[in-house]
Amino acid sequence: MSIVSQDYLGEVVESSTALFTAECRELNGSPAFGSFVMTDTIPVVYGVVFNVSTRSMEPNRRPTAYGKTEEELRMEQPQIFELLRTEFEVAVIGFRDEEGPRRSLPPLPPRIHSFVNACPEADLKALTRNGDFVRAILSQQRLPTDDLIIAATRNAWHARGYDMPYLVGLGKDLSRLVRDDYDRLSSMMRRITE
Amino acid sequence: MCQEDDWVNGSQKETDDLSVGANGALKRRSTGVITQGSLTDGVEMKLNPDRSVEDVKAGKFVVIEGFKNEFFSMITDLRLDATNPDILLYPPREGDELLHSVLNGASTYVTVSMRPMLMLEKGERVEGDARPVKTIPSHFSKVVEAEEADVSRVFGSESMDDRFFNMGTPLDMETPVCINLDRFGERSNGIFGKTGTGKSFLTRLVLCGMIRNEKAVNLIFDMHNEYGYQAMKESGSGQGSFVKGLKQLFGNKVALFSLDPESTRKRGAQPDHEVHISYDQVTVEDVIALQDELQLNPTAAESAYLVYAVYKHRWLRQLLSVDGPDIEQFAEDLGANKSSLSALHRKLKRLDHFPFLAERMAGPDAVDAMLDYIDRGIHIVLEFGRQTSMLAYLLVANILSRRIHEKYVEKSEIYFATQRPEDKPRQLMITIEEAHKFLNPATAKQTIFGTIAREMRKYYVSLLVVDQRPSGIDEEVLSQLGTKITALLNDEKDIQAVLTGVSNASGLRSVLASLDSKQQALMFGHAVPMPVVVKTRDYDEAFYKAMGDVGEGERKEKAKRASSAVFGD
Repeated sequence: MSIVSQDYLGEVVESSTALFTAECRELNGSPAFGSFVMTDTIPVVYGVVFNVSTRSMEPNRRPTAYGKTEEELRMEQPQIFELLRTEFEVAVIGFRDEEGPRRSLPPLPPRIHSFVNACPEADLKALTRNGDFVRAILSQQRLPTDDLIIAATRNAWHARGYDMPYLVGLGKDLSRLVRDDYDRLSSMMRRITE
Repeated sequence: MCQEDDWVNGSQKETDDLSVGANGALKRRSTGVITQGSLTDGVEMKLNPDRSVEDVKAGKFVVIEGFKNEFFSMITDLRLDATNPDILLYPPREGDELLHSVLNGASTYVTVSMRPMLMLEKGERVEGDARPVKTIPSHFSKVVEAEEADVSRVFGSESMDDRFFNMGTPLDMETPVCINLDRFGERSNGIFGKTGTGKSFLTRLVLCGMIRNEKAVNLIFDMHNEYGYQAMKESGSGQGSFVKGLKQLFGNKVALFSLDPESTRKRGAQPDHEVHISYDQVTVEDVIALQDELQLNPTAAESAYLVYAVYKHRWLRQLLSVDGPDIEQFAEDLGANKSSLSALHRKLKRLDHFPFLAERMAGPDAVDAMLDYIDRGIHIVLEFGRQTSMLAYLLVANILSRRIHEKYVEKSEIYFATQRPEDKPRQLMITIEEAHKFLNPATAKQTIFGTIAREMRKYYVSLLVVDQRPSGIDEEVLSQLGTKITALLNDEKDIQAVLTGVSNASGLRSVLASLDSKQQALMFGHAVPMPVVVKTRDYDEAFYKAMGDVGEGERKEKAKRASSAVFGD
């Protein structure tokens, strides 16, 4: 690894075709739930953050409650923060080949120790052109599906300057993907625009 | 999944909608895609979500672009559908535009039923007989709105040929729909519609076409004095004003006959011929045809024939000349039943009041005069003036038509024998109003009109039946009508009657019931390749001009020019 970009978000510590986990560069420095990220591997792998956790580095030792603010603790016992780490989990929704971003699973998972960055807006738009990213989320078993779709859709919508026709089109795809579950659809659409 | 990209580039969609047709030039806007259907029940399309259901109307003319063929179809029904019944139970809240738009076209959608009426290979025109639809378009065939070029491909255009006559425009379009007058004249035809929906107007339009293009000579029994000289305009621009009659439009191509010359003169026209009918011209059959109107007993015919057996053609005059008590003696002399004959006598006395019934013929016989005009190709409007009773109308129409028909049969037989073109009788079309009075199942077998309708063009006489109650017309006659032009009908029985003899009538039924009450008509049958709803053309100055009529100023100008050419300034 040559020059390490100092603004990367995290480093892959666990990897599989559909999901990977990255450890944050800084404590509590995780990208937001539902945000789009990419790895710096070849091929580039795109995903959506679906879980963020902060815990002790030692599996057998849990942090204890001190009854003090974080600022006081940093002054008095700075070492305890060194023993904590933040991780985020990412659901893979696509990868990039010569022709650009593709909305399907990558041929190989991202390598361990590769860096994870925020997804640039152009790639985000390409990935969210239609409802395929929603389908990728829905096809995963252990994701908080509805909330993840809501957060990811809000990001995609935001990237398009809150364009209404875009959201309507996405809603139509969503309606089909949730098998015309009207109750679920109307709740999701309401929460996206709230 | 290619469809999914559609919503991403909203602007691109518009351009995608405009397709390039088989001939490379046609650009038509997509309305939806075919999803299901059958040859017998018609096909269904899912309406594109960007099209509003309210823009799609029953009766509209659309084209389905199949793989090899184009199917010219008529929209017959529209239906709102939802994929999930929950949506219908808990509709989106008012003001929830987003959910509304999301559901529109995806979970809630519009299904449009269509009836393919005509099938043409891509780029082909209608030539001769229209080919019936024998197949249906494949799944997801595109449905497009018909364009101007499609309309003229199917219906022809006035500029192509003088066979074609512009009747109006399809719904929401500006291209004229034409009927083929050659085919129209070949058979008996019907014009139907509830009262006040523009039957007379449609009739006048058709007659104008027939007269201008000289496709057949017309004899019009004008019960309400609407065709000859001026009539009140009931709709369109200039409502309530007076419009020109056939005589004003076509001048000496039209002769005005009148049963009530005084009334005709009062309305500012000079009749070309006053019609009188002598008692001797009334046959027993003519009286029998009035059975309903005169409330004749079933035995009346027998009594009348008994009188006829003795007095021959003078029977009616003889019968009516007998007064009160003498009738019993008269019956005895004939060997007829007294009460039956006196009932007949009593009822026929009503005829005595008709001023047009003459003891002796003063001038030339009306029928001879009519035939003379007809031979010269001059159209006849017979005005009834104040003689508007149904009895007078039935009597006169029957007597005259019967005799004209007789002469035509003679002429035709001469032509069949000699086969010389100059002996060929001119095609004659007789227009009758209140046709159910002549053609109801009970009398259609007896009146001359029933015979004409059934014999069709064998003897070069056909009918133009105008009626508001088609269910009252004998089914056999209805099924023989070649072309039917119908304005709005509400009564289920009438609708069914009009659609007698039409294949795939179910779709047309809803179209017929949903017509506007003014200036809209459904045309189908022999003279049009496929059924079509038209907004009939306006009967205005532009129309007069198209008929070759020149305005008042222009006429004076022309006369002035002609006179200075002859006499110098």
